[in-house]
Amino acid sequence: MSSVLLAMQTTLLNDMRPFGVMAHVMVLFAASAGVVYGSEIGALAGLIIGLMYDSVLTTPLGLASLVLGATAYIAGVFPYLVRDSSWWSKIIAVAMASAIGEILFPVAQAMVGYSGWVQWRVLTVALVVGVVNLVFAPVMLLLTKWTLKETLVG
Amino acid sequence: MSVLSAKRKRAIALLSLTSIILITLDLQGSASTSVLRGTFGAYFRPIEGVARVVTRPISNAWYGITHYNDVTEENNLLREKIAQQEGAAVAAAASVRLSQELLALNGLPTLAGINSVSAQVIGDSPSNFSQTVEINQGSDSGIKVGMPVMNAAGLVGKITKTFTRRSIVMLITDPEYALSVKVINNPKESPNVIDDPEAAATSTSSTSTTTTVPTTQATSNIPGFTPGATTIPLNTINVTVSIPSLAPTLTVPVSGALPVRETGMLEGRGPTRVPIVRFIDSAQRFGTILPGAPIVTSGGSLSLAPPDIVVGTVTKVSDRLGTAGPILEINLVADLTNLSFVRILLYQPITERVTP
Repeated sequence: MSSVLLAMQTTLLNDMRPFGVMAHVMVLFAASAGVVYGSEIGALAGLIIGLMYDSVLTTPLGLASLVLGATAYIAGVFPYLVRDSSWWSKIIAVAMASAIGEILFPVAQAMVGYSGWVQWRVLTVALVVGVVNLVFAPVMLLLTKWTLKETLVG
Repeated sequence: MSVLSAKRKRAIALLSLTSIILITLDLQGSASTSVLRGTFGAYFRPIEGVARVVTRPISNAWYGITHYNDVTEENNLLREKIAQQEGAAVAAAASVRLSQELLALNGLPTLAGINSVSAQVIGDSPSNFSQTVEINQGSDSGIKVGMPVMNAAGLVGKITKTFTRRSIVMLITDPEYALSVKVINNPKESPNVIDDPEAAATSTSSTSTTTTVPTTQATSNIPGFTPGATTIPLNTINVTVSIPSLAPTLTVPVSGALPVRETGMLEGRGPTRVPIVRFIDSAQRFGTILPGAPIVTSGGSLSLAPPDIVVGTVTKVSDRLGTAGPILEINLVADLTNLSFVRILLYQPITERVTP
């Protein structure tokens, strides 16, 4: 599943850039894992997904892994903030976690010395990614339940 | 349940630690991370290839919907530009040939003497926070990290990672990109031309004789500047250049009116902001930098690029107080949003060359 999503990320989503921003399906997957299965399993899934994503990026290996792990962990916290989480609150949680994850990328890059990406543009990127992931979150939540059921959850 | 949670926490800690170790190794330039990337690439490339084929119709449909008007406008503009440049191309080729012969005659290095490899751009960076492209030539073709990459217009970026059959090119607009460049400030005043042969005969040794070829500058969009980036093999051009008159027209440059060059540091600032040039010395001799002044690579023993590759033109000059010097905003000559083919100069500065 991660390989297929990564392939979509490097091909289709890399070409289609609404408002000049690339939609981020890897962040969406990590956030969905966090929302569906909680912080711990989410973080595990995020770290593994991130390692795969790292392999096609030019940033230092391991950076996206930490970012996606943190994103999924944060996403896993959101359901605890509402009393009875419904389907739409999960979707909003995925979108918010995605936006936060997108902000974490340049912050993490700055922490290892690549400080040039901390710009106001980050907010635009986070907003666009958040909105796009809000649209695709229902499908991804279903896919996450289906794909992670037999593996990480046990 | 608590046992399971403890196991998960241990797994999270282990994976986080692995990531931190990998970051450290990668930042130190360890070869093991390249091996990891290469191994994953071998597994992932076929999947990506299939995905590219399957998703291409969707990508094309997206482009059709979102870029139709832009493409139509661009087509019209390009037709007009082709019509303008067709007539000037032959004379431009002759100018470049003459320039190269002159440089060779004086033992000066030219870009024509540097081997290059052509490559196709096969992908962009799948990230919002990286300005890189992937090309289909790698270390098998002699490409090494740091080599300059250009297209027909000018400088595009530099090689930052090489694999056997592909490489990663960091574009000029990436915030991590920096390069030493020259600003060529054109003189405002025109030189004194002496038409009187007697006066010419009595002029002092500071005068110089010039012959003029019909003025057509088509190798660059920058007025008054013939780029070194346009290189033509010396044995393939057969153009007759007609010199209208060899009458002794003497040109005496006004003192300080020759083009003056000043070096600075070009820095990228991301995809939405234009690159800038810093550390320009605000010397009086250099004069006021005006928008339109050409920017070319400076070269030198420490620079990764050879001299005189066209980078762009100055669009805005922001003066600063004191001796800080102005900051120049640059309009790049290369269109980085639409790269298809690039040329990698197999150039390494003297300080980087490894003697066998």
